[in-house]
Amino acid sequence: MPVLRLPKFGKPVKYAYITGRVRAMKTKLIPAEMYPRMMSMEMAEIARYLEETQYKDEIDALSKDYSGTELIEHATFANLAKTFRKLAEVSIDEPAFLILEYLRRWDVWNIKTLLRGKHYGASETEIMKYLVPAGELSAEHLDELAKKETVQDIISAFDGTDYASALAQYDGKNLAPLENALDKLYYFRMERSVGGTLSVGGGLLLKYVRREIDIRNLITLFRMNKAGVDAAIIQENLIPGGKLHDELSRMAGQPFGEFLRGLEGYPFWSSISDIATADVDAISRIEARLKAYLIRYAWALSNYHPLSILPVLGYMVSKETEVANIRKIVRGKEAGLPAELIEEQVVVA
Amino acid sequence: MAVIRGTKPTRAVLIALKRRMKVAQTGHSLLKMKRDGLMIEFFEVLNKAKTVRKELVESLLKAEQRLHMAMAIEGTVAINSVAYSLQKEPAIQLESRNIMGVVVPKITADAVQKKMYERGYGIIGTSSAIDEAAESYETLVDKIILAAEVETALIRLVEDIDSTKRRVNALEFKVIPDIKDTIKFIGMALEEMERDNVVKLKMLKGKSQRRVAEEEAKKEAAKAAEAAARASA
Repeated sequence: MPVLRLPKFGKPVKYAYITGRVRAMKTKLIPAEMYPRMMSMEMAEIARYLEETQYKDEIDALSKDYSGTELIEHATFANLAKTFRKLAEVSIDEPAFLILEYLRRWDVWNIKTLLRGKHYGASETEIMKYLVPAGELSAEHLDELAKKETVQDIISAFDGTDYASALAQYDGKNLAPLENALDKLYYFRMERSVGGTLSVGGGLLLKYVRREIDIRNLITLFRMNKAGVDAAIIQENLIPGGKLHDELSRMAGQPFGEFLRGLEGYPFWSSISDIATADVDAISRIEARLKAYLIRYAWALSNYHPLSILPVLGYMVSKETEVANIRKIVRGKEAGLPAELIEEQVVVA
Repeated sequence: MAVIRGTKPTRAVLIALKRRMKVAQTGHSLLKMKRDGLMIEFFEVLNKAKTVRKELVESLLKAEQRLHMAMAIEGTVAINSVAYSLQKEPAIQLESRNIMGVVVPKITADAVQKKMYERGYGIIGTSSAIDEAAESYETLVDKIILAAEVETALIRLVEDIDSTKRRVNALEFKVIPDIKDTIKFIGMALEEMERDNVVKLKMLKGKSQRRVAEEEAKKEAAKAAEAAARASA
């Protein structure tokens, strides 16, 4: 892992401006009571409703390239990217640094998509369709990277950056170790950068980051333990850090029933206890519950210190959840999935 | 009576036809046995094909639902991105096996069912919805391969049953009766020829007997004339 050099912010950090902006931006989010109504709407009605919200510009701009659910999905992602970039632009000093560190998850997403696209041999235009420039890497920079000929060319473009060590994991044929290394790097950076902040709310944000790492590791354990994967392989796929790393690491490779019994008593257990049984057929249901638990945890934290990074975190999580909720509803309705299945996946405050 | 055209009613042809008849009868009974055997095999394969097709449809519906679910949870953007990381496509090997003389394919595929960490995408950054969709499609590909094998075998069996049935019918209703008729015809023709010969022989015998009697009469007359001349002298 690269040694992260934290910038020094000499004066006391002022969060009043950015939290004020976030409060204003929060009013534009789709209210919770709209989701049950959207569930009973026709697709055309949902599209019309979204045209009346902050997604209008993106829907109008992308309507020449996409239609139906594709349009809604791409428009919501485009709006998410625009909103997050705006958030990064209007913030300064420590908030800007922390916001950017959080948004690097989208850089990691984009790097992975670029590499996967090149690995597969997809065209530059195809790859660009699946990029979400919501992080530090701009759309122009991503466009340049998409024009590179090979996977190795893209990896070489990141020489000298913190990503280089993770990208060096590429063995010429398998992207999985590289992807895992990028994700581990992201969480390593997050934990280090949040841990380095001394301002109010920093401790709680660190708690959130650690819980996110624990939840991600827990989901990995659910997926791999259920599939009966060897402990050593599972442990390679766990993110270092988090509060429960050692305990979770010990659960790797355990028989599924024993693993479930070991989870009883943890704070997240109550959110999954009714469906986490040895004969569960779809881990995705448990994953949805755990992700919802994490989202609600972020929302709960966002109210602790109004003038800190926490309301910003709450907003970013809310925005990502909103985009995911819209997508789940429109995609679910288009595919004719049962309403209960869609409702189970939608996370509402 | 349907006699094979151009058949010469000779004893050699009769012998050849009788030999052919024996072969045709043996062939007929063998083909009948093959047809019955193929029918039994066909019904077994048909039952298997029905089960495989039912499982295939169930797998397809499940895979579609899981893919839609993954698309709803993760978005097509994420699904397409993950799909790009596919490492290697399944390789199909085609062999053949023999069911009662019918060559049917035996299809095997490598690298269809993969372990989740062998699919090419990182575990940390993806979700179980993607695993479930990928797993369902892997099962579906397996079912498609099995269905292709069983249904192709079924088609080949039907084709072979059809041609065997046609052969059995041709032997039973055309070839064997024709040979039988021709044998009968040649037999009758030969008998006719034999009777003809007997008559001819009898006629020849009568002719020669008459000639001998005439010659003897002539000799007797000559002897009598000689005796009369000697007496007058």
